[in-house]
Amino acid sequence: MTSGETRSPMSAFPPVPVTRTRLAILAREKLPCSPRTIPRAQLIKEKDDIDHYLEKNFKGLSKEEVAAHRNSYKKSICVEMLRDGYHKSFTELFALTEQWDALRRAAEVRSLFWLQRPLEEQPDKLDNFYHYLTRAEAAERQEYYEEVYNNLYALACYFDNPEDKWVRNHFYERCFKIAQRIKFDGGKKEAEAQAHMGLLFEEEGELLEAAQHYEAFHELTQGRIWKDETGQLLNLLACESLVRIYRLLSDRMLENKDYKQAIKILMKASDIAKEGSDRTMEGEAALFLGSAHLAAGEYETALTVLRRYSEIAESVGDDLNLGKAYEAIAKVLQSQGQTTEAIEYLEKFVKIARNNFQSLDVIHACTMLGDIYNEKGQYSTASEYFQQAFSTAVELMKTALMDETKVHYGIARAHQMMMTMTNYIESADLDSLNCLLSWKESRTQIKYDPVLGLTRRATEDDIYHYPDTQEEITRSPDNQ
Amino acid sequence: MNVIYPLAVPKGRRLVCEVCEAPAERMCTACTVTYYCGPVHQKADWGSIHEKICQLLIPLRTTMPFYNSEEERQHGLQQLQKRQKHLIEFCYTVAQKYLFEGRHEDAVPAALHSLRFRMNVHGLSSVELVPAYLLLAEASLGLGRIVQAEEYLSQARWTVLKSTDCSNATHSLLHRNLGLLYIAKENHEEARYHLANDIYFASCAFGTEDIRTSGGYFHLANVFHGLNKMGLADTLYTKVSEIWYTYLNDHYQALLQARSQQTDLLGKQFVNDTGLDEAQEAEAIQILTSILSIREPTSSKAPQKTVLVLKTLSILYYLMLECSKAKEYASRALSLTEEHLDVQEQSVIKELLNIISIEEEQPLT
Repeated sequence: MTSGETRSPMSAFPPVPVTRTRLAILAREKLPCSPRTIPRAQLIKEKDDIDHYLEKNFKGLSKEEVAAHRNSYKKSICVEMLRDGYHKSFTELFALTEQWDALRRAAEVRSLFWLQRPLEEQPDKLDNFYHYLTRAEAAERQEYYEEVYNNLYALACYFDNPEDKWVRNHFYERCFKIAQRIKFDGGKKEAEAQAHMGLLFEEEGELLEAAQHYEAFHELTQGRIWKDETGQLLNLLACESLVRIYRLLSDRMLENKDYKQAIKILMKASDIAKEGSDRTMEGEAALFLGSAHLAAGEYETALTVLRRYSEIAESVGDDLNLGKAYEAIAKVLQSQGQTTEAIEYLEKFVKIARNNFQSLDVIHACTMLGDIYNEKGQYSTASEYFQQAFSTAVELMKTALMDETKVHYGIARAHQMMMTMTNYIESADLDSLNCLLSWKESRTQIKYDPVLGLTRRATEDDIYHYPDTQEEITRSPDNQ
Repeated sequence: MNVIYPLAVPKGRRLVCEVCEAPAERMCTACTVTYYCGPVHQKADWGSIHEKICQLLIPLRTTMPFYNSEEERQHGLQQLQKRQKHLIEFCYTVAQKYLFEGRHEDAVPAALHSLRFRMNVHGLSSVELVPAYLLLAEASLGLGRIVQAEEYLSQARWTVLKSTDCSNATHSLLHRNLGLLYIAKENHEEARYHLANDIYFASCAFGTEDIRTSGGYFHLANVFHGLNKMGLADTLYTKVSEIWYTYLNDHYQALLQARSQQTDLLGKQFVNDTGLDEAQEAEAIQILTSILSIREPTSSKAPQKTVLVLKTLSILYYLMLECSKAKEYASRALSLTEEHLDVQEQSVIKELLNIISIEEEQPLT
């Protein structure tokens, strides 16, 4: 095991002089196997030379190529990073792959079917990691934080797909940390990072955290004219996000019947929306506030807020929102019991929806109208509206809607016929009995005689076009 | 009677020197089973490892006693195996410690012993031999015998290449030594490649932030330092010192907490413990002091980094129960912080200094 250096001197004898022929000497020189007298050091050196020579002159595999074949791509990338001293990039990549493993294991425990391919098997992703992480690290070393941010953000964007969401989130967080160090741009990057963090929390459903980040985002962008890549004003974006998150928050509160908090938050939202100087957004905020007031049972406030909303919608010329406003107002009025006004608004709503070919809205409005008329006892009008709703649903070919409207329509028709039936039964004469019997036979026709047997109209249509006035008359004794 | 005459040895029995395997002329009188070619090698072996394992060698090198039953025989064999394994580890650690302390000459006999026992236990082509080869290579490197080191490393590399079940830790060690070899040969390109591999394998085995990975970072930093890429070397040195600081500080805090909670229970004192073996302690000292010597000239520019190293060293010595050294480093850290840093940092170090001086006054019995 030990070499000549530690060996005692007595073991190393000088070579014994041997006389050889010239040929033997030559052969010795030419022969590939070296004589024993050459020290190992020399041998190793020669081997190195030979290796070097082979590598240079024969286009075989270089050491790197051999390594690439032997090792996984992930290892090659890691080694490449470390070779140039990018240890932070390495650590990050390594941690991410470990996190991936942990995620997969967790999924295995819950026996989910794990479709994702591991990062190691996706060379293009690893390449991207290498490219951006090393550049970010180099920039970080020189304290060009903006460059760092850009690179990390590029990575986050690259991984912005449902499969790699967790990677994206990781880089959003990193961006956020880096952005706090960027000072000279007045906080634009920080604002952007806040927005991303907000989005991140919003997606995870942690609305309060998200709201905090969006608030910071809003604060940072206040009074600035920064724009993002698509040319949108950041401040506007902030307002939008904030309003959206407030709305989600308030929705949650409304679910828990915490009306006061919800209204408070929505007030904030509408303030911010006003600030954003985007009328549509302002209108929307008003709509939500109105709905919240309605849910809380504060009809008057709800009405004023919603009226403002409709004004805004009108001034913008936004029919869609105007429609929504009318609908919301009608709802408030309906719950206040002012049905006539409600009907007015709803009719307006139907008109607008028709003009804009918003079939869903038409169905909605018609159903509401039908409901109101139903309640008022004007069954034929109600069934008329329900019929409209039904036919629109048929046009749309949506079975769920069709079924729903069908039921409404059916109920209204039943109500409508109920009146005639009771009349016949109450009159209790032979003709009426005959009528009832014949109706029972066919189930299609029933003759109606408003003045009990005086005029009998036999067509089915007539039954359904029962004049409202008469209905009212017949109902009036019950009402009183 | 410690002189033996090679010609008087029975035929067929070859007594060879423990160190160089030349015909033996002397014998250790304490164990009578170890032979040497001369007083030089005997002294070297005694100083290195033999003193510690002299008596342990006797059962290994005398013939097994006669056992009456198969059961006993099996038991005896198992005992033998156990002893050998213990010796392997022991010699290995001792050699490693010598290496970190820079006593390369002393490390050789210990490493040789480890290698020999490994051969006995695991056979000639086992991966288990690799760590011993690596030790020998490192020792040879330290002695400036590059060719010999390369020989050992080639041997190790070949063994690893042939084996299919080589652990990441072994891979990492192999690459670290190859890296050191190429540093010695001043082939920085290759050295970086191997050190990168070392870090990768060590990370796979222990994680990126482990003290066992820090060695790779440290050597890589040295390469960059040698190449005059100070920025790069700096971040790597920072990384190394942070790894050690985190590790030692954790131990330190755990100790303090344990003490504050249970100090009067049975009056039991908690013994300071680094959680490291001797070799790792030596490695820590070596790495940290050399980082310190690099940091020191620039300590006015970046005092934070120097203070970190000083603090880490102080905690390390404190945990190793060398209070005077701990105190020295802590006071150096304190004077630096007083010059450059804020009060909070100062108070942290003052507290450390306090604890150390309490310990110094009341040494553990």
